Amino acid sequence: MLPYKTQTFARSSTFSALILAGVGWACAEPLVLDPVDFARDIRPILNAKCTGCHGGVKQAGGVSFVYRDQVIDYEGKSGLPVVVPGNIDESEMLFRITLPSDDDEVMPPVEDHPEGLTDEEVALITRWIEEGASWKQHWSFEKPERPELPTLSEAYEAIEPIDFFIRARLEHEGLMPSERARPGRLLRRIALDLNGIPPSLEELDAFELAWSVDPRAAVESEIDERLGRESFGEKWATMWLDLIRYADSRGLGQDGRRTIWPYRDWVIGALNDDLPFDEFSIKQLAGDLLPEPKLTDLIATAAHRNTQTNNEGGTDDEEFRIEAVVDRVNTTWQTWGAMTFGCVQCHDHPYEEFRHDEYYEFMALFNNTADNDLRDDAPLLSVPNKSSEYDRAHALDREVAWLQEDLWTRGIEAAGVGSWRPIEPDSLTTDNGNKLEPRVVDGLPGFGTAGTISRGPVYDLQYPVPADQSAITGLRFTAYPKDPDKALKDSEWGFEITSLEAALIDAEGNATPIPFAASVADVPWLPHAPQKLIAADGKGFAAYTRMHRARQIVLIPDAPIEAAGKTLQLKIGNKTVILGSFPLVIHQGTLEISSHQALTDFVSDSAIGDLRGQVAARIKERKAIPSTAIPTMAERPAAVNRPTHVFGRGNFLEKEAEVEAGIPFSLELNEEGIPDRLAMAEWWFHPDHPLTARVFVNRLWEQLFGTGIVTTLEDFGSSGEKPSHPELLDYLALRFAEDYDWSIKAILREIMLSETYWQSPVVSSELVERDPANRFLARGPRPRLSAEVLRDQALAISGLLTEKVGGPPVHPPIPEGVWKPFQGGDKWDTPAPGQPDRYRRSIYTYTKRSIPYPTFATFDAPSREFCNPRRLVSNTPLQALVMMNDAVFAEAAAGLARRMKYDSEGTVAERLEQGYRIATSMRPSTAKLDELLRLYEELEARYTAEPELKRGMAGTPDGAAYTIVAQVMLNLDEVITK
Amino acid sequence: MKLDTLVSEYQQQRLLADTRRQFLKTCSTGLGGFFLGDHLLRAATGGATTGLDTHHTSKVKRVIYLHMIGAPSQLELFDYKPELEKLDGQACPQEYLEGKRFAFIQGTPNLMGPQAKFSQHGESGAWISDRFPNLHQHADDLCFIKTMQTDQFNHGPAQLMVHTGHAQLGYPSAGSWVTWGMGSENEDLPGFMVLLSGGRLPRVGKALWGSGFLPSVYQGVQCRSVGDPVLNVSNPTGSDRGIRRSALDALRRLNQETHSEFGDPETLTRIAQYEMAYRMQAAVPDVMTIDTEPADVHEMYGTSPGKESFANNCLLARRLVERGVRFVQLFDWGWDSHGASKSEALNDGFLKKCDQVDRPISALLTDLKQRGLLEDTLVVWGGEFGRTPMRENRGGKEMALRGRDHNPGAFTLWMAGAGVKAGTTYGETDSIGYGAASDPVKLHDFHATMLHLLGFDHKRLAVNFQGLQQRLTGVHPAHVVQGVLA
Repeated sequence: MLPYKTQTFARSSTFSALILAGVGWACAEPLVLDPVDFARDIRPILNAKCTGCHGGVKQAGGVSFVYRDQVIDYEGKSGLPVVVPGNIDESEMLFRITLPSDDDEVMPPVEDHPEGLTDEEVALITRWIEEGASWKQHWSFEKPERPELPTLSEAYEAIEPIDFFIRARLEHEGLMPSERARPGRLLRRIALDLNGIPPSLEELDAFELAWSVDPRAAVESEIDERLGRESFGEKWATMWLDLIRYADSRGLGQDGRRTIWPYRDWVIGALNDDLPFDEFSIKQLAGDLLPEPKLTDLIATAAHRNTQTNNEGGTDDEEFRIEAVVDRVNTTWQTWGAMTFGCVQCHDHPYEEFRHDEYYEFMALFNNTADNDLRDDAPLLSVPNKSSEYDRAHALDREVAWLQEDLWTRGIEAAGVGSWRPIEPDSLTTDNGNKLEPRVVDGLPGFGTAGTISRGPVYDLQYPVPADQSAITGLRFTAYPKDPDKALKDSEWGFEITSLEAALIDAEGNATPIPFAASVADVPWLPHAPQKLIAADGKGFAAYTRMHRARQIVLIPDAPIEAAGKTLQLKIGNKTVILGSFPLVIHQGTLEISSHQALTDFVSDSAIGDLRGQVAARIKERKAIPSTAIPTMAERPAAVNRPTHVFGRGNFLEKEAEVEAGIPFSLELNEEGIPDRLAMAEWWFHPDHPLTARVFVNRLWEQLFGTGIVTTLEDFGSSGEKPSHPELLDYLALRFAEDYDWSIKAILREIMLSETYWQSPVVSSELVERDPANRFLARGPRPRLSAEVLRDQALAISGLLTEKVGGPPVHPPIPEGVWKPFQGGDKWDTPAPGQPDRYRRSIYTYTKRSIPYPTFATFDAPSREFCNPRRLVSNTPLQALVMMNDAVFAEAAAGLARRMKYDSEGTVAERLEQGYRIATSMRPSTAKLDELLRLYEELEARYTAEPELKRGMAGTPDGAAYTIVAQVMLNLDEVITK
Repeated sequence: MKLDTLVSEYQQQRLLADTRRQFLKTCSTGLGGFFLGDHLLRAATGGATTGLDTHHTSKVKRVIYLHMIGAPSQLELFDYKPELEKLDGQACPQEYLEGKRFAFIQGTPNLMGPQAKFSQHGESGAWISDRFPNLHQHADDLCFIKTMQTDQFNHGPAQLMVHTGHAQLGYPSAGSWVTWGMGSENEDLPGFMVLLSGGRLPRVGKALWGSGFLPSVYQGVQCRSVGDPVLNVSNPTGSDRGIRRSALDALRRLNQETHSEFGDPETLTRIAQYEMAYRMQAAVPDVMTIDTEPADVHEMYGTSPGKESFANNCLLARRLVERGVRFVQLFDWGWDSHGASKSEALNDGFLKKCDQVDRPISALLTDLKQRGLLEDTLVVWGGEFGRTPMRENRGGKEMALRGRDHNPGAFTLWMAGAGVKAGTTYGETDSIGYGAASDPVKLHDFHATMLHLLGFDHKRLAVNFQGLQQRLTGVHPAHVVQGVLA
């Protein structure tokens, strides 16, 4: 009986009553030993004592305890079967582990494992083999099952399903749940969790009143209202941006500015709109490949353009393109699967059933995007500054793309008619001493470079035209890699034609220039404008910056050229040098000519002119829409795709076998295969996928409770921790994926409506000792607030916070001497006191990877170079220095002081009480109020006696005293923790 | 609450934390358990951090690491190659170029002889060029490794390799591993401090002194010449030390109330951290103020108070280790001698850089020796890779100024002080100083050796993270270089 399966979250309180009538619970105690469970009982022994040598990395004797087929009925190099199910006598493994410790053949070897196997472990392995040596996957690879609700020995009123799981474990541990937190504290918890800022006094008063009437109704309406605020997205985006390693700079090398904030705003908006997690994810992984992508779907793909690029001089674009692709693979597995898939880059996984080759099969899904570590972050998407312009801009983009494709197709068709005749050069010179020589390339007469290549040559290529040649209607130039076979695996530096002059030289040596009416490149699109030989922006036909394959362009003269017996001259400029080091020059080339009418028809066709006119008009209209260009994902045309190879030991210079795109065998869920990124994105949301929903609800749980059900948010593999409440994890995963159709707000709401979430954080010393990390949840959460929330809270408490959603990054006050960017032009301009952008939510602070905002770094925010699955919370003296002395917090203290002095009424004590309540959402105890008052009086006396002291901080002694007391309030443990 | 009551509370907490560590040891294996246990244990002891037990006894108590950012040319400083002198101006044989990747060299470059005069010094007869005249007197204090090798040839990743043992970001730096392993000797100062000179930050910035997956309390704290010497160490306007004391006393009592109400042990840790912050506010400006040093010390180092300079940082390094700071990391920018501009030419900027560091390095060694600190301090000098025996020919052309490209195959690093064999040279490069002819030393080997000198087995100084036993030396085999140990 699964009564909750059909329930919707809106009716959860009636649903609790249903649950109370639930059936008996077959809760397994974690250490029940009978019968032997492979995943629970055997795999941990193998991982601890065996896989060091017989694992994914080392597979001594051909035996690996990671893979069933390298153990069960498998003969290693010794020729003896490792494990024969049901047969303890034939199983070599058992023989070897039961040898005396001084035997040379004993396993595990004494020098590696002096502790050996315990008698219990040997007994377990024996029993496991006797019982048939079942090989079950690690728990997280088995799809979640709907658990039955546990029965509790105590009868509780109106608790939620989540509470059943929690309390069953508490009963098992002999622990009692805590009472409910006091309303002010609970509201503060809800507000900080949902909106990242504490409640106002008015909100507190209203909530306390509502609570006194009906606590559950009060909380429910509070949660619903707060889920609808825009600050919800601002709070929850941080967690996602940590995973997706969002930053406003490029990382590595020079770490220059990158404009990508529209993606950050997309995340905030998507969370606020409660875009279901499957759509949210698919758009980010493959929005560009959706059948009819919207502009916002393209913005979403910037997620995987948050990879670093290296623009340091002398760096290899291919090396860092691959690093970015590798990062996309690892980040994808970490974010959606909590798997350390990155291990497989160099070798088979030490513990999971992932093979080395499978890493590259998965990488093939990402290996054909058009970006390649370019300085300008191309390809870019132009995002209108006003979202109201999105539709019009996107329609124009699509029309331009469609028209250009149409033009290109017509050109390619014209170029495909008739035959091309290769011609042979008789003079090959350059203007800078570089040497060119005649060379047969791909069976055609052509030319090639020889010796050292200096930068910037202009080639002068002269081709005698045979006497029998009819009027020339087109030239076809092909540029080849130096070593075409090798380049397919290991791309070479490419080329860029920076200028091209053609002329016809007659017998007397007179040269007549040849103008071209059109050019048609071999592919319709690449980020580096190949549509024209030389585009308006100066970019030329290019393999920019690397080439895997030969590239070709057709040039069509205005009119047919009578060239028989004359010499055709091409002057090709190769001026591009990138990263201060690498000249992009053509290394081998051939030229062919055509006399077919189709080419002339193509350039003289008035329809072509019309098309070009339409393209130009639309581009003009599009450019008039004020926009911001951001990097996004786009696939390269199939004609220039990059083959993917296995890298030997993870080294990209050691290419091994070529692979096809795919996902690891151990997680193959459908027969169709995974041909592209979009299919991969959808695969994460396959109904049988065991990881995605569990991993994400665990992240949400950790955000609320400070610890995940699986503590190792980053590792659901067999080296990670086991879930503290496996049935609860499955319950939440299925609730999220199936009942709520991946609604993040709905699952959060359900968790926050549990009594478990409402508990008081008060803890006895016995319980601290028993459960220091609060994994049993016998008390409410009390973690330290995150870096961003600490600053936002201070701004909110002081009344300074600017509530404006979205926009370019801002530059709040930063301590002197910190901002020393590698690139001098990168400025940190802090708005003056009083300016709104000085007080924006922390999520809008400019995120530079090499210079993290100091306050955030001090409070454990990651610097966003890579996917960061979990923040570790520290407690350090540097944090005290920030909270006591940093300009942001000093300004906040002054703000709170003003609120006490000017916005409050009554005696000093009453004003202090008010200030305390603004800061903590609670009224101070008498002892605390006395302490605050004593401090106030002491300070006021001191500032009265020494008026000079307050200069620059406050105008009056009482103002100065309020400021210091406010500073103390902002530093209270109760303010710093949730 | 009185301070002594507070102290006894700490002791109780520490006991409690010990129990917790036991609990976590037996109950969990993952990162979470590890950190919680470790973190609570360390934090509960108050401001200073305690270390682990060392794996063997060691004389070295602290480290000063001098990193010349950009990679100084070994061929102009320590690795004397008369053969290269003879080959000067000749085209580089193809065998040296095949299969190699360069940052800037194109086609066939020419070889270039040493751009400095070399002579032998001390009883050890160590070769040191005339670029470092002051260092000549310390020839017998130094232990050179001539055959250092790395597998990275771009600055960012190579610097990460030197300091974290990995070419990618996100790993703990050597200083973090060391302070994590050894703890802090000083109650008032961070255990790991970083000083920069040369006008620019290293490319990957604070990742070079980050704590990676170790708790952030072990990250390097950057000392600055501009603004506060440590961020936010001075009180905001309107507050003095007396007022701060009153505020902190009130805060302590309020938090103590909170602790009695909630029972959260982190509250006590927080109280202790605020107290340490207060002590730091006095200790940091005190140690960072070099004005008080006598004139002869300033003369020896060539320091001028108030400036950002490598000389000032060397003097500060001595003051920091004197006060028990465990790991002092100096970075000096400007050693990337490609020859592409004056500032990075071997016949221009490089000469100035040498002048800037020679005297202070020599003074630091002298000073540490005089104070007996060299007996338990390890000093390390080096870059992130070496430079090519070929003259750089950027874009395939001879350049106006002289320079050398990046060479991961051989570079020189030296150590001095506790535990190392003074007056020796380990490893020999080939006749042109391009690769190792004998005894190559990978960076992992150097890291293993440095940890060994500090009393740790590099294989055992490890934490479990993302399914791996993570170490400074990574997963690759590494060997302690026995030949450099005293």
